[in-house]
Amino acid sequence: MHSKNILLVGVGGQGILTMGRILASSAIRRGVKALTSEIHGMAQRGGSVVVHVRMGDVESPLIGIGMADAIVGLEMMEVLRYIQYANQKSILVINDRIIRPPMARTIPTKNQIISELDRLKLKYVIIDALNLALKAGSEIAENIVLLGSLIATGILSEYIEITDVENTLKEVFTGRALEVNLKALKYGYDACRQHVNENI
Amino acid sequence: MTFIGEFDLVHPLLYPPGSVVLLLGNEAIARGAIEAGLGFAAAYPGTPSTEILESLADVAEHYGFYVEWSVNEKVAFESAYAASLCGVRSLTAMKHVGLNVAADALMSSAYIGVEAGFLIVSAEDPDMWSSQNEQDNRYYGLHAYIPVFEAYSPWEAKELVKYAFNFSEKFKHPVIFRSTTRVSHSSGPVKFDVVPSLKSTGRFVKDPSRFALVPAHARKLRVKLIEKWRSICEEVNNSPFNKYIDNGSRRLIICCGTGYGYLMDCLKILGVEGKVNILKISTTVPAPRRLILDALGGCDVALVIEELEPILERDVKAMAFEEGVECEIHGKDLIPLIGELNIDKLIHGVAKFMDVPVPSNFLNPLKCNIEIPTRPPTLCSGCPHRASFLELKWALAKSGVRDVIFAGDIGCYSLGVDEPFKVQDIMLEMGGGIGSANGLAHASNQFIVAIMGDSTFYHACIPALINSVYNKSPMLVMVLDNRITAMTGHQPHPGSGFTATGARVDEVKIEDIARGVGVKCVETIDPFNVKDSIDKLVKAIKFVLENRTVALVNSRRACTLMVVSNARRRGVRIPRYLVDLELCRACGICYNQLSCPAITPMPDKKASIDPILCFGCSVCMQICPFNAIKPSETPSKDWEEVWRVN
Ligand SMILES: Cc1ncc(C[n+]2csc(CCOP(=O)(O)OP(=O)(O)O)c2C)c(N)n1
Repeated sequence: MHSKNILLVGVGGQGILTMGRILASSAIRRGVKALTSEIHGMAQRGGSVVVHVRMGDVESPLIGIGMADAIVGLEMMEVLRYIQYANQKSILVINDRIIRPPMARTIPTKNQIISELDRLKLKYVIIDALNLALKAGSEIAENIVLLGSLIATGILSEYIEITDVENTLKEVFTGRALEVNLKALKYGYDACRQHVNENI
Repeated sequence: MTFIGEFDLVHPLLYPPGSVVLLLGNEAIARGAIEAGLGFAAAYPGTPSTEILESLADVAEHYGFYVEWSVNEKVAFESAYAASLCGVRSLTAMKHVGLNVAADALMSSAYIGVEAGFLIVSAEDPDMWSSQNEQDNRYYGLHAYIPVFEAYSPWEAKELVKYAFNFSEKFKHPVIFRSTTRVSHSSGPVKFDVVPSLKSTGRFVKDPSRFALVPAHARKLRVKLIEKWRSICEEVNNSPFNKYIDNGSRRLIICCGTGYGYLMDCLKILGVEGKVNILKISTTVPAPRRLILDALGGCDVALVIEELEPILERDVKAMAFEEGVECEIHGKDLIPLIGELNIDKLIHGVAKFMDVPVPSNFLNPLKCNIEIPTRPPTLCSGCPHRASFLELKWALAKSGVRDVIFAGDIGCYSLGVDEPFKVQDIMLEMGGGIGSANGLAHASNQFIVAIMGDSTFYHACIPALINSVYNKSPMLVMVLDNRITAMTGHQPHPGSGFTATGARVDEVKIEDIARGVGVKCVETIDPFNVKDSIDKLVKAIKFVLENRTVALVNSRRACTLMVVSNARRRGVRIPRYLVDLELCRACGICYNQLSCPAITPMPDKKASIDPILCFGCSVCMQICPFNAIKPSETPSKDWEEVWRVN
């Protein structure tokens, strides 16, 4: 089956739905079939949010267990919550950010989370998306920063390139919002490229 | 609404014919209706149906059809149905439980039939992502003698909607289009066709023998209905959306709705593509008998795949029995009954049926060894409901009322079910809180508080409020009026002051309704003014205790999420609040009792406010006993202004 499966995870309000649609739109403009699946309503109120994006030869919108080619985590704990979707070949693009659930008594530390990823022998890059988003001009652009990082991993290179995402952004945003998002995309892309270069 | 509505340059439903556009399933349903010549649409929001009417409203002016958010599903159904009787193609959309509210009208509509095509979109929620149950409304089709069509993807949904409109008009009969979360809220490429000229007004031609269901007319119409149903049962055999794929096998899989997409992917994963015959069905009710019998005929064993109830499965088994077909038929013995379908759930049953092993990734998934705390949805930071709950609890304590039942309802405020508020002891269905409060008030000696949102108030609470006046039910009714239907994504309602298409209208005021039906104690509070709110709540509680009847408090403050997104769009600065660590005594009232997600305890238990999450509601500042919380800047005039959005 010739396809790519990308799982986007994070916390309600982080712009994960937007991220999924931009990714899928970018594929469709290249004539690649792409599907997304998202959950609205209750799940968006600060809850855990997961969006499935599938490209290529696919008929249904949900990724199977162990079948994600990449997981993009806008929050670190959320990556581990959905780790069953990963396999040894998956690439994880992870925001360097922990968001404490309001009523949680204890939460794991960043180091614990990273050691767990190492124990599972998973490949990952950690991106400081919040700071890059702020540098681009808005704290709400973390999603687009990580989208840039995802593209930089090369996992989707047979389907889309960074320019496709830029073109989609130009179709969706105008004015300052467009400016901020284009910058965010580039910063995320560059940050991840740097990682990939350093680690290979 | 795709992406972030306000930044949209071209609305996705406005692309020219021939375009291939990424559409949400609900937008695809809307596009299908537009390409079918829709003239009228009415709905009440509810996940996962909401974006159907929302996207139609966005383009109503462009195409010239009529769109409304109705007060509830019953009224939406009746409005759209009546439009059809005027010869206008019409649609109503609702979540699955909404059809319960409209069920009375649904049943009658089958007897009367329709004039122009009339589509009832029932968007269902297997797995209950945002719902109180996972009822399967295909039973309504069987119950009412109304066909039910279901699609597996956004692109099929658009085409099937068009077919359903033509079908409805051909048989002069309503049609239910069943969607589920993974169709409504999946997006995929959809190719656009031309939009025909539409008719948004027509003429109602009187014929009481048909339109007025007195018993004498109804008896005749019942006979006609059964005759019509027979021809519908025949016609579905010819539907191009039912497809037989003959791979020359002695095995057959019959599937409908979402089952088809998951099945095709499972067969690929298992490497058994082309090794089994497939009958894909879109007209589940009534099941296409001839197609099913033909497909069963050449097979030894069959499997029926469908989401939720075994409706098609029972039909297939009955047909095989009636015709003496020798074929072993499987269904819910191999495919889960509970929850939505997906590849993970289907793979086991399909592998067993195909006699191949399940790939190891499904059997031994990666496991995380450290504990990850749950992340249930919570009230947003700065949510006025949070302030209202705190004030309510403090006012009850101040009044010395301890034994309280909180009759809750459905909306964002349902999240008050959890710690620390626990103010949703019962949650039945929309409007069920105040309805059951009436019974609780007479059948228990406890103090009763009925809590509901503004949209919920208009939807189904008014008859129960009248009942509480009429039957003198001692209870406090607290309306959480955030000016909008927040839970489902900010749709306007009769109190909002504007319509689905943005036209300004007079507000129907909750206080006016309450006074109008005879509630003697009616108070309005601003939950962001803590002291005044508590005083007024105490007054209302006293009224209930002294007069043994109903009092109503309307807690009025716009939804913070909506205000913050307006502020961001207009470039208005959001004043953030800060903790003065010199003054903070680590009492924890702000993070434990208010439990705002922006406020967290530090290792020394003093409070810290995350400036990114703080939306400047000021409630923590007002409740801090040590004056340790202050704004980072004086809130601007513009900030005060954005709160008065409507
Ligand atoms: C019969 C029915 N229709 C629709 C829904 C979907 N729904 C859930 S809550 C809600 C309304 C919430 O609005 P409101 O009462 O104003 O409370 P808010 O979310 O704004 O706090 C709706 C429409 C439902 N659960 N049941």
